Amino acid sequence: MNTDQLLIVTAISAYIVGTLALLNYLLSGVEISKRIGIPFAALGCAVQFTELLYRWQTSHIWPLTNLYGSLSLFAAMSVLIFIIFAVRYNLWFMGGFVLAIAAGFLAYALTWNEGYLPAVPALQSYWIKIHVPLVVSSYAAFMVAFVSAILYLIKYYGERSLENGGARSVAMQPAGAGGASLGGMELRTMAAPVAPRSIIVGDSPYLEQAAQQGNTLALWLATLPTLAKLDILTYRIVAVGLPLLTLGIITGAWWAKEAWGAYWQWDPKETAALISWIVYAMYMHLHTRNQWRGLRCAWLAAFGFVTIMFCYLGVNIWISGLHSYKM
Amino acid sequence: MTTSTAPGGGSSLLVQVRELFGELLAQLSNFWFGMLLLAVWGVMTLIGVIVDQGKDQSFYLTTYPAALARLVLRLHLENIYHSSGYVAMIGLIIACMTLATFKRVIPNRLPPLRPVKIDKIPLNATVLMPGDPATVRGRIESFFAERGWLVRKREAGGVEWTFADKYNWARRGVLIAHVGFIVIAAGTTMYWAWGYSGQTTIVSGNTVTIPENGAKFQLDRFAYRIDPIQTRSGTVFQPIDYVSYMHVTGKDGVTHSAVLRVNQPLDVDGTAYYQASYGFAVPFTVTRDGVPVAGTPQAPLREGEGFGIGQTSRSVRYARFVGTIDARGGIGADPRPNNPGVALDFFDGDQPIGQVLVPLERGLDLGNGYRLNVGRYTLYSGIQYRHDPGIPLVGIGAFVLLAGLCISFYFLPARLYVRVDEAAQGVAVGIAATTVKGYEIFEEQFQSLVEALRREAQPPAAAPRATVTVAEGVT
Repeated sequence: MNTDQLLIVTAISAYIVGTLALLNYLLSGVEISKRIGIPFAALGCAVQFTELLYRWQTSHIWPLTNLYGSLSLFAAMSVLIFIIFAVRYNLWFMGGFVLAIAAGFLAYALTWNEGYLPAVPALQSYWIKIHVPLVVSSYAAFMVAFVSAILYLIKYYGERSLENGGARSVAMQPAGAGGASLGGMELRTMAAPVAPRSIIVGDSPYLEQAAQQGNTLALWLATLPTLAKLDILTYRIVAVGLPLLTLGIITGAWWAKEAWGAYWQWDPKETAALISWIVYAMYMHLHTRNQWRGLRCAWLAAFGFVTIMFCYLGVNIWISGLHSYKM
Repeated sequence: MTTSTAPGGGSSLLVQVRELFGELLAQLSNFWFGMLLLAVWGVMTLIGVIVDQGKDQSFYLTTYPAALARLVLRLHLENIYHSSGYVAMIGLIIACMTLATFKRVIPNRLPPLRPVKIDKIPLNATVLMPGDPATVRGRIESFFAERGWLVRKREAGGVEWTFADKYNWARRGVLIAHVGFIVIAAGTTMYWAWGYSGQTTIVSGNTVTIPENGAKFQLDRFAYRIDPIQTRSGTVFQPIDYVSYMHVTGKDGVTHSAVLRVNQPLDVDGTAYYQASYGFAVPFTVTRDGVPVAGTPQAPLREGEGFGIGQTSRSVRYARFVGTIDARGGIGADPRPNNPGVALDFFDGDQPIGQVLVPLERGLDLGNGYRLNVGRYTLYSGIQYRHDPGIPLVGIGAFVLLAGLCISFYFLPARLYVRVDEAAQGVAVGIAATTVKGYEIFEEQFQSLVEALRREAQPPAAAPRATVTVAEGVT
């Protein structure tokens, strides 16, 4: 096993251990699992970046000229963006999903690893060091947003199932009516609601009631942030991904002007990226509406990542065009 | 729609037209209409990704199922991005965006300074502070001003209100993003109006003139490099470089040498020239009983070109250059001309009748005394050119759009409403917050702000906590 392979195996192994630890933290809330998972997530990410740098240093070939390098960066950037957000917003509960997806993509990337190939003339440009990392970083941000949106949907439909199931008989009670506390602040209920979906409400009363009755699903769902917080979290991550995607498209257009003669060629990759951009632009617009904020926007964020995958892998692998750089 | 008669009579039609125009503007500036247009734009773009674009009719009829091929051709989906429907859609989006910005976004996002019912706003808190109202009001104003809030005071109904705004300027982020989009569209339109583009090929030693601007390009030499690379799947022949060494004559009539490479375009009198491709031009001659047949092409052919064979119904097309014909007479993997040949497609009328691989500098017996002779290859260079006066505008628009997005996403305009009332012990400071993106997004910052104000309210040595109350909305 050479150094390159050793680093890849180390990264995948670290992600797998991190995935298991953080999934256990998500499911059981055991603090020690989080403490184990975090260093493994950071280790896997650091090793991946080291591996990409190692490839560059040993071959003097920029490692992002093929699908392997691009997918590898995607996995590493996903974990990096997740760690940044997790540190800022304490999101370690979703780390298991992010690391699992990153490990999956890294493993899939290996199937495209053909070794060191020099870049074709079209890729011999300094723009590859700007455009590709930007675009891949945007994909990575959207992946983290996707995980956040999926957790929103899990919690939403989990609450719905509790509402429709055993907790149906629970009388509707306002959250915090019993004097719940939030950050040392005493909460009380307003008589006349003015905001239909205020964050301050917290979890559904059905969820609280079912959790008090020892319902396993409810106990687990209660460990997740409130739906409103998950919604805002998804929004914040998309708000990172969309400017990155925009900048990626702009730099790509600039590069295309130098390489192909026109900044926009209606190449399948360009147009697929435009579709993703439109979807996320719609997400940002619709998130300003109360009736769309929450469930519908979570579905849209999840759908947005599907368009990203179509743009990233579908177009590269199945549709031929100017961006068909697999090897 | 209601109708009315204007003073003086006779102008009700004008009123109706105005009302109709008003309704049209209202519809175009409607948020949901804009979202619908974006969705339709996305779907139309997706069709263009899935359906092969720019192919001729026969491609669709032979490649797609018959019904789908007919659908593609009848709806003109084979060139959707340049269809009038697609262009109209973008035009409609721009109109909608412009109207929405000026009719809805800007007016809605500049609320006047007016009192509110603090406990009716979901993000609200009450902080008890020692001191008299005037002193506390002064401390609160300093507190917010120190944290970058723009503090203003208004008196309403005998009550003095304090309003604090942050990132008020960022309310223009949407406007800036929309302007960026419109500038990009304007730049694109400039290309349609005044730009041009095209492509040409130059065989080594030849000169071509660009029809749009008269520039002359003489290809002195074309060079390429393809390296065999050993990969885990086997040997790959990877193109490394290709370059045209030329002499160029511009509008000034001065000829100078130039080198054209991929990613290194050449600018001649405002038109950019790009190294796009290369190929192998091959001369063909046809003889019958040793005598040259009329109609044989005089110049070497490029891949894809063809000609008729004498007086027969048959024709031949130079399909592709083959670098290496292997020992079994098949096409070798190495594209470099080691044992070169040409793959020729033969037709009888429109019907293909077969493909033949012919080594260069050899002949092929076609029957009835006809013989096809294949000569030596000459390299040619494929060049694209483009004159696009809209590029600076597109670039500016792109960065304006990006700036607008960043302003909109990362700077949250928020307003605090503060009212100071006398209480049993000291004063009660009621605070409420609104933002342009709902309440949830500001909750964390609001709590931090209230906590900081609570700490500010305490005398340095005092231990007990102030009572902070957050009222809440209920679903």
